[in-house]
Amino acid sequence: MICVSVCMGTGGISAGGDKVFHNFEAELLKHDIEATVNKGCSVHQVGCRGLCAKDVLVDVIANGVKSTYEHIKPDMVMKIVEEHLIKGAPIKEWLVKEDYHNFNAKQMKVVLEDCGVVDPEDIESYIERGGYQAVKKVLTTMTPLDTVETIKRSGLRGRGGGGFPTGLKWEFAVKNHADQKYIICNADEGDPGAFMDRSVIEGNPHSVLEGMIIGAYAIGATKGYVYIRAEYPLAVERLRIAIKAAKEKGFLGKNILGRGVDLEIKVKLGAGAFVCGEETALIASIEGKRGTPKSRPPFPAQKGLFGKPTVINNVETLANVPQIIKRGADWFASIGTEKSKGTKVFAITGKIKNSGLIEVPMGISLKEIIYDIGGGMEDELAFKAVQTGGPSGGCIPASMIDLKVDYESLAAAGSIMGSGGLVVMNEGDCMVNIAKFFLEFTQLESCGKCTPCRIGTKRLFEILTRITEGKGRKGDIEFLIDVCNDVKATSLCGLGMTAPNPILSTIKYFRREYEAHINEKRCPAKVCNALLTFTIDKEACTGCTMCAKTCPASAIEGDKKKPHTIISDKCIKCGSCFDVCKFKAVNKE
Amino acid sequence: MFGGCRMINLTIDGKQIKINKGVTILKAALDNDIYIPHLCWDHRLTPYGGCRLCMVEIKDQPRLFAACSMPAGDGMVVYTDTEQLRKVRSTVVELMLIHHPLDCPVCDKAGECQLQIMSFKYGANFSRFKGERKNAPEDTGSPMISRNTNRCVLCGKCVRVCGEHQGVGAINFIGRGFENVISPAFEETLDCEFCGQCVDACPVGALGSKPFKHRARSWVLESYDNICPYCSVGCTVTLDLREGEILRSRGISTKGINKGDLCGKGRYGLDFIYSDARLKTPMIRVDGQLKDVSWDEALKYIADGLIDIKNKKGADRIGAIGSPRCTVEDNYMLQNFMRTVIGTNNIDSSARFGFAVFNQAIEMAFGIKRLPIEMDAPLGKNVILVFESDVTSTHPVWGLKFLEAKQKGSKLIIVDSRETKLARHAHMWLKIKPGTTQVFIYGMIKLAYDEGLYIKEDAEKIENFSKLIELVQSYTPELVAKITTIDKDDFLAAASLYLTSTSRIITLTIAAAENNKGFNTIASACDLTNFLGDGPKALQSPAEYSNTFGLWQMGIAPNIKPGGEKVEKPGKTVYEMLYKKDEIDALFLMGEDPLITYPDLKTIENVISGLQLLIVQDIRLTETAKLAHVVLPASSWSEKDGTFINSMGRSQTVRKVIMEKGESLPDWQILNKLSKVMGQSLGIDNLKKLQSEVDDIRIIAGDKRLRYIAAPYVEPPVTAEYPFIMVTGNSMQHSGTLSVMSKSLTHVFSDAFIQVNTEDALKYGLVDGSYATLESIKGKTVIKIRVTDEVSPGVLFVPVHFKHVRVNELTRIAEDGTAPLALVKLTPIK
Repeated sequence: MICVSVCMGTGGISAGGDKVFHNFEAELLKHDIEATVNKGCSVHQVGCRGLCAKDVLVDVIANGVKSTYEHIKPDMVMKIVEEHLIKGAPIKEWLVKEDYHNFNAKQMKVVLEDCGVVDPEDIESYIERGGYQAVKKVLTTMTPLDTVETIKRSGLRGRGGGGFPTGLKWEFAVKNHADQKYIICNADEGDPGAFMDRSVIEGNPHSVLEGMIIGAYAIGATKGYVYIRAEYPLAVERLRIAIKAAKEKGFLGKNILGRGVDLEIKVKLGAGAFVCGEETALIASIEGKRGTPKSRPPFPAQKGLFGKPTVINNVETLANVPQIIKRGADWFASIGTEKSKGTKVFAITGKIKNSGLIEVPMGISLKEIIYDIGGGMEDELAFKAVQTGGPSGGCIPASMIDLKVDYESLAAAGSIMGSGGLVVMNEGDCMVNIAKFFLEFTQLESCGKCTPCRIGTKRLFEILTRITEGKGRKGDIEFLIDVCNDVKATSLCGLGMTAPNPILSTIKYFRREYEAHINEKRCPAKVCNALLTFTIDKEACTGCTMCAKTCPASAIEGDKKKPHTIISDKCIKCGSCFDVCKFKAVNKE
Repeated sequence: MFGGCRMINLTIDGKQIKINKGVTILKAALDNDIYIPHLCWDHRLTPYGGCRLCMVEIKDQPRLFAACSMPAGDGMVVYTDTEQLRKVRSTVVELMLIHHPLDCPVCDKAGECQLQIMSFKYGANFSRFKGERKNAPEDTGSPMISRNTNRCVLCGKCVRVCGEHQGVGAINFIGRGFENVISPAFEETLDCEFCGQCVDACPVGALGSKPFKHRARSWVLESYDNICPYCSVGCTVTLDLREGEILRSRGISTKGINKGDLCGKGRYGLDFIYSDARLKTPMIRVDGQLKDVSWDEALKYIADGLIDIKNKKGADRIGAIGSPRCTVEDNYMLQNFMRTVIGTNNIDSSARFGFAVFNQAIEMAFGIKRLPIEMDAPLGKNVILVFESDVTSTHPVWGLKFLEAKQKGSKLIIVDSRETKLARHAHMWLKIKPGTTQVFIYGMIKLAYDEGLYIKEDAEKIENFSKLIELVQSYTPELVAKITTIDKDDFLAAASLYLTSTSRIITLTIAAAENNKGFNTIASACDLTNFLGDGPKALQSPAEYSNTFGLWQMGIAPNIKPGGEKVEKPGKTVYEMLYKKDEIDALFLMGEDPLITYPDLKTIENVISGLQLLIVQDIRLTETAKLAHVVLPASSWSEKDGTFINSMGRSQTVRKVIMEKGESLPDWQILNKLSKVMGQSLGIDNLKKLQSEVDDIRIIAGDKRLRYIAAPYVEPPVTAEYPFIMVTGNSMQHSGTLSVMSKSLTHVFSDAFIQVNTEDALKYGLVDGSYATLESIKGKTVIKIRVTDEVSPGVLFVPVHFKHVRVNELTRIAEDGTAPLALVKLTPIK
C-alpha cells in the first residue's frame, strides 16, 4: 500500500504543489505502480499542514512507514518515485529535518487536526475521519438548547478577535423569535499576514460546514451564508464543492438526515474591504448594500441580516464546534487557561525561521511559539517584538516574551488576541515605521462613515509619516497619544476603536525610538531612509556602476572599476543604491 | 416588539425624564430641552451614528455612546456635558475642520452652517494639524443643485433623505476612508427629481440651491412662513427674503403639516410670481389689440357690458369660473358677486372634472358632503391599494407617507399602467389597462362576496345591495383579468391581500389633468368601502390644488351655496358654459386658463370666440386671456392675505409677504370694486369683514346614509385606426400651468413629451428624442417622443403643462363631466 499526499494549500500550490502532484500521478502511471501494488496506491491532495516555509511538503507512505519530504520541486518527483517507491530507499537528504518535528511537537491540533490529512475536495475522506458524526449526534440526541448549553459549557470564545463567548451569542439568537433566522460564517479574513481561516477552509471545508449546521440547528436558522473574500479563489472553490457534496449526502438542504431540519448555505463573495469583517458591515454587504458598520444596538442577534436574528461566527470558531460536540464540553474546557479555553490557530510570519500555520493550546507562552515552534529568529538577528491581532492589535516587546497567549493577558499588554496573525520583528525593524505601516493600512481601509476614523486615522498616519521623514516636532508623542485616545473613544466600530493600538503600544514599549526620530532625527533600526546618511565603503566597492545607474537623483559618481562616492547634497535618500549593491559596499548610518 | 407605549425613566444631566421605551437618548434629550450637538441626525431618518458629535457618558459604562443611536434604558443616568465629552467633541470638530476648505466668505451656508456653529461652540481656537485637504471642483452642471464635495462632512443626511425618505437614491457614497465622497453614480452630473430635500438636509455648504447661489448672506435674510400654493397638501414653506424679494423657500422640521419636507415645486417653483409674464395693468381690447387702461376704465367697461347683457338677455346668460388656486376669500367673493350682483348660479370651476365628481360620489355613497384625507392615513395600515394615481407627483409630500408606511411594514399595492415612483417601491405592481380600475374593484367585491370576506349583516343593510351583487356577478377573476389585462393570479393575490387585511386604505386621485378615472371609478371604490364596512376614511382621495377644497366649500358650483346647501335653481356647469355653443354671452374667468387645462380645446375655442364679453382676471396673460375683451391683473400668492383649505380640510392662513406686482389687486378686491361700480355694494370694506362673513358660513353635513352606487362599467370603443390609449396627467416637476411660469422649474424641463413603451417604439418606428404626429379623432399635434418602459405597451403618457403642444386638442369630455381616455395614433415625422 502506497500513499502519496501532496500539500496543496495556497502555500503549497504557489511553491509548485500543483506540478508536483501531477508529476506524481504521471510517474506512478508510467511505472505502472498502481497495478503492481494492487490498486493500493493513491495520490492525495491535502490542505495546508502548517510549515509553509518548507513547501512543497510531500508525505510518502510505503509499507506502512511515513516519510515526509520538504522543498520538493516538480523535477524531483521522478527520483523519489524511482528511489523510494520502486527501489524502496527514501532519499535521506530530501527528508524533513529535526526542526520539522520540533515545529509540531508543541502544537495541539484541534481545528487543524485533519488539515493536511483529508482531501478537502472529497467528502468521503472527511466522513472516514469521523466527519459529520457531530451533526448526527446533535440532530438525533440533542435538543437545540442542549447544544447551546454544551457550547456554553465548553467556554468557546469567538476566534475572530473579539473573544465573545460563542454559546452566549447563540443563546441571544435563540431568545429572539422570528419567522426567519440566519447563521453566517465570517471568512472575511483581512489582516495583513493572516491566513488561518483561509487554510482551514482550503484544508478542511467540511469542518466549517459541520459547525454551521450545528449552530443553525441550535439557534433555529434555516439559511446560512459564508461571507468569504473573493481573493481566496481556492477556498471558495473548495467550499462550493463541499456544500454541493454535503447537500448530496443529505447533510444540507431540506430535512437534514430525515430529522425535519432545513439549512441552505450560500457562498457570498466579499470584495476585499477589511471593514466588511465587522459584523454589521458584513451584514450590509450581504444585503447588497455598501459595507459600512452600523451602531449597535440593535445587535445582529436581535436584528441582523434582512432585519432578522442572525449569528455570525468566525471560521475557526465554527470549526471548533464539531470537535466540542464529539469530544464533549469538558474535554474542550480542559484545554487552555481559566478564561480562554481550547486552542488557537496562528499564522506566524515575519523574521522567523518557520513561518506558517500553527495551532497551540491557549496559555502557551510567546517564547514557546517563537523559539520552539517557530524555530527562532531568521538570520540570527535579535528578537525585538511581536505584533498580535493585526492592525487592530499591538506590539509586544522582547521583554515580555514570557507572556501567556490568552485573551486577557494580551489585552492587559495593550494588544489583542485578534484573529491570529503573529508578525515577528527583529532588531532591523523600526517600530515607528511598523506603526506607520499599520496606520497606512487602517486609514485606507476605513469605510469613511464616522469622522474620527475617516479623518483621525489619516491624520495619525500623516503625523507618523512626518516623524519618519525627520520632521517630527517636540510634543508629537503626547499629541499622538491624545488623538489616539480620542479616536478610540469616539469611533463607531471596532476598526476605528482599535486602529490606534499599534501606535499606543509601540509608544508604550518603544518610546525611545520615537524620541530618537523626533529629537535626534535618527532611526535606530536604520529603516527610515530620510534619517539616514548613505555612504560607499571604498574598500568594498568594486566600481560595478550598478548604484550609479540606479540612482534616480544622479547623486553617485565614479569611474568604472573604481570606488564610487555619493554626493550627499544630491542624495534623496531613497535607498535604491543600498538595495542594488551586491557587495554590501553601501552603508547607511 | 417594543410593547406599545411602555414608559421608562432615565436621568439626563440630572433631569428626570419619562419617555417611551425604544426612544434614543438624543431624542429623549431634545424633547426635554437638553441640547446634544449633532450633525448627522434627522428626525425623519434612521439613526446613522457617523458624525460622533453626540457622544454621551452613561454612568457605570466604560465607553462613550452615540446618543443618536443608543436607545434610552430604564434607570439610565446620562451625562451630556462632561470634561471628557468636551474634549472629544473638540477633537471631532477639529478633525472636520482640518478636512474642510474654510471658504466661508464665499459659501452661501455661512451664518447658518452647522459646522460653523459646532466649531464656535465646541471647537478649539487653533488647529494642531496640517495635512492634505480635498480639492475637488464644484459641480454646477445640474439644473437646481450645486455640489461642493470639499465642504462635505459626510454626515450622509443627503444620501439618506434621498434614498430612504424620498425613495430616489440619486446619490450615494463612493470610495472609502479619506477618499469617501458623496456623488451620483459613476460621478456623473446629478440628474434626479430635483426635490431639493438634500439641500435642506445638508448641514454645511456642500449642497446648495443654484437659484439662491451667491444671492444673499444668510444673516441679511428675513424669514416668513407661508402655505405653498401648489397642491392640496398645504405644506408650510419658510420664505427667505432680501429687500422684499423672495430668494428661496425651505422646509423647517418643526413647522407645518410637512415638518420639513417639501417637493421641488414648493422649494424651487415659487419664483413664478416673478415671471415676466405677470400682468401689471388692466387691459381692454381695442381694435383687436389689448391696450393698457386704468382700473376705472376697465371696471366701467365690464360693468357696462355685464349690465347690458343682464338687462337684455338675462342674468342666466352670464357665467363665471373660479380658481382652486385663489384663496377662500377670493372664491367666496366671486360666487357672492355672481349670485348677489349678477343674480345667477352659473358658477363653476375645473373642480368639475375631478373634485366635484368625487364629492358627488361620496354624497351618494356615504351621505356626506366632504371627505378630507388624513396626512398620516397610510401609516400603520396593513395594506395600501393605490389605483392609477401618481401620488408622489401630484401630492409629493403626502406621497412620502406612502413610502414611509411601506418602510414600516405596510404592504403597498399599486395598480397602474405607469411605473410611478410608488410602483417602483411597491410590494406588488399590477399593470392595469388604463381606465379599468372599476372592473378591478368590482372583481374584488365579487371575490369578497363569494369568499364571504365581508360582514354579511352590515353589508346587506345598505341600500341597493341586490343591485350591486347583481352587477358584480359577471366580474369573475377571469373577466377581470381579460378587461384589465392583469394576470388572474396577480389580481387574486392582490385582492386577497387587501380583503383579508384588518387595516387598509384605497387611494386614488381625480383631477382635470387626469383622464383615466371617472365618476364610475370613484363610485366603485365607494361601493367597495361600503361593502367591506371600512367607513369613508378607508377611501383617501386628496383634492387637487392648494384651495380646491376651499373653493368647493365656498360654493363655486352651480348647484351649491357656500357651506354645501343646495341651491333652488342650479346654474350652468363648465360643461354647459364652455362646451355648448350659445349658452352664455359673458364669461368671467378668475384665475383659470381653460385653453390649457381643460379637455377638448377646439370646442372651447369655438365657444369662447362666440362670447360677447370675456373677462379674464389672472396673474399673467394666459392663453385664454389672449382672447379676452378685458384682462384684469390680479395679485398673486404671497402678495395678498387670505386662506387656503387643504385636502385635510384644514384652514391655513396665507400671507402677504411681498409687494403686489404693478397695479394688481387681490381678486376679492377687484370683485368688490366691480360690485360697487355696478352699483351694488356687497358691504365688504376690508378683509376682516370678508373673513368674518366666511367664518359665519354654516357647513352642511350630509344625512350619512350609506348606499351602493352600482354604476355599470362601460367599455370604451376601440378602433384599429387609433391603437394607443393616451393617459394625461401631471409630471413630477410641474403642476398644471402655474409651475411653467417658474424659471427654476423650467430649467429642469420645459418641453412637452409623450412617453412611449420600447416595444411600441420599435413597432411604429418611433425614435427617442424625435418628433411624431399625435392624432385623435378630435385633432392632431406634433410632440417629442420619449421612449421608456415606465408606460405599458399600448399606453402613452403625456403631461399637460405646456401650451405649445396643445395636447388637450386631442381630448374630449364625457357625459359624467370627466375627460375620458383618448384613443390616439402616433406617426413618426420623416
